[in-house]
Amino acid sequence: MTQPVTIIMVEDDEGHARLIERNIRRSGVNNEIVSFTTGTDAMRHLFGADGSGLVQKGNALLILLDLNLPDMTGIDILKQIKENKYLKASPVVVLTTTDDSQEIKRCYELGCNVYITKPVNYENFANAIRQLGLFFSVIQVPPAAP
Amino acid sequence: MTAEGQRRRAFWQILLFAAGLFVLTAISAGSVYLVNKAREDSKWVIHTIEAQNQINALLLEIRRAESTARGYLLTRRSDFKADHDKAVAAIVPALDRLTRLTGDNPQQRKSIETLSSAIETRLGQFAQEMEFIRQDQPEKAAALVSELASADTTAAIAEVATGMLREEERLFRLRTVNSDRSQTLAASMTGIGSGLVVVLALISIWLVRRSARVRDEAEARLRDANLNLEAVVDERTADLREANDEIQRFAYIVSHDLRSPLVNIMGFTSELEELGGDIFRRIGSLSHAPAEGAPLAPAGPGEIALEGADKQLQEDFSEALGFIKSSIAKMDRLISAILNLTREGRREFQPVKVDTRELIEAIVTTLAHQAAEAQAEIHVEPLPALVSDRLALEQIFSNLIDNAIKYLKPRVPGEIRIRGRTKLGYAIFEVSDNGRGIDPKDHQRIFDLFRRAGTQDKPGQGIGLAHVRALVRRLGGTMSVSSELNTGSTFTITLPIAWNVSNRNRDR
Repeated sequence: MTQPVTIIMVEDDEGHARLIERNIRRSGVNNEIVSFTTGTDAMRHLFGADGSGLVQKGNALLILLDLNLPDMTGIDILKQIKENKYLKASPVVVLTTTDDSQEIKRCYELGCNVYITKPVNYENFANAIRQLGLFFSVIQVPPAAP
Repeated sequence: MTAEGQRRRAFWQILLFAAGLFVLTAISAGSVYLVNKAREDSKWVIHTIEAQNQINALLLEIRRAESTARGYLLTRRSDFKADHDKAVAAIVPALDRLTRLTGDNPQQRKSIETLSSAIETRLGQFAQEMEFIRQDQPEKAAALVSELASADTTAAIAEVATGMLREEERLFRLRTVNSDRSQTLAASMTGIGSGLVVVLALISIWLVRRSARVRDEAEARLRDANLNLEAVVDERTADLREANDEIQRFAYIVSHDLRSPLVNIMGFTSELEELGGDIFRRIGSLSHAPAEGAPLAPAGPGEIALEGADKQLQEDFSEALGFIKSSIAKMDRLISAILNLTREGRREFQPVKVDTRELIEAIVTTLAHQAAEAQAEIHVEPLPALVSDRLALEQIFSNLIDNAIKYLKPRVPGEIRIRGRTKLGYAIFEVSDNGRGIDPKDHQRIFDLFRRAGTQDKPGQGIGLAHVRALVRRLGGTMSVSSELNTGSTFTITLPIAWNVSNRNRDR
């Protein structure tokens, strides 16, 4: 039996986190969502105390990442995830206010799977998240590594 | 080098020059005078010698006359007679010459008078002698001769002549000394003058060399100052650039970070709106339920009309939310504008050759619809081509032309004209219209971010002209406006014809 996918949300703004979670739930996705408001906490959870990522071995993850974090940039986190052998297969969705084309390009180069700009217009925002939720419901996360 | 020192040096140089000139003039005048004097003195020396010669010649002629007279008396040979006649004939002219020569000296003139009377006597005696000989009375003649020899006429002549010779000798010595003195004076004057001139020239050379040294030092200092100035300018430019970059970063970060809470405000306002909808639906269903007498099915999507105070509440609620939402939308637009401006400020420009006319005609084509709606005609005159950033030029001109169309006078056919010319390496473009114009007191304001002027009847954020001016400045140009209310506006843009990226890179 496949293990349920856990959604890891790294988002410093609790309001954004709440809005995202709410809209994901509205789209009918009921997977567990684990939120972190700082990069350090997220890194500890993802890579474990030893930083090897062994703790997540065998877990199916989907990572929602904000780029503007108070203690580090999301780009660093993205880079480390994609360089770690236990985590690199997990899809990463970058969800941020930055719509700078250079930054978008850089994220895709580093292995980000989806890049979404948070629109201020709430309709669009809600739509984007709901569609992301739909996307989650059909996405096939690779089976946990043995 | 102080101005005071400079003036003093110049004064000394002029003084030296004047002194040299004066010395030279004095030497020249003195030399001329002394040389003339020496010549005069020499002339007098020669004059004295001549006078001496003349006295001697006179005496010689008298002796000759005497001796020939004696010879004739003894031999009666006619050649002695001829010689005697010649000698006697020569005496008078010789005496006359002597008289002329010594005419300047009163003492000599007196001697001459004595001499000439003695000579006259002597000549008479010669004539008597000759007469006796002719009458063939030689003994009488001989007697006369011997008498004469003892008489003092000859001695007197000799004495007077010797006196005259002595006088001339004295004059000769005196005049020789004079002449020598004049010549020595002339020589020493020339010598001293030359020495003075040499000394003045040396002082002058020293002064010139000193001022040259001072000038060299000043030049060196000036060079240093220039280098220093360049360094200072570079430093300041670097500071300014840093400050500018800082502002850009600041604007970017601020606008970015302002956006984040805005997402929340907007998001939760929408949530609130939805909640409000739910609440009012529930109120509606509760207030309607007794009337319909049956429990209402779970609230459907359909709107339930509210009444009275409830309706008022719902309206107030929606109105408040509407204001919040429109304010958020406006704030979002402003933040986006700042973001775009800073992003534009960070974009690297690429200088390419741009056919400006073609570019502007392309813009006019895209704006053709708006122009037709505003009944505006757009005339594009021949424009100079330039090397610049194409995208920036497009943004500049489309903003200006768009503004010109947007702010035409209602019900007046618009006429928009784009002219161009070149001047001193710059291309000058003018975009003029016959629109509503801008009050002169607003000319500065329209270039400020988020500021607009005139009747606010057209949509806009007050960003266009600020953006255009920022672009023009980045392209190394300037921009100005001339306009009166109701008579149209002319925007003038001056851009370098050959803007090159190296300038820009150095500036960055």
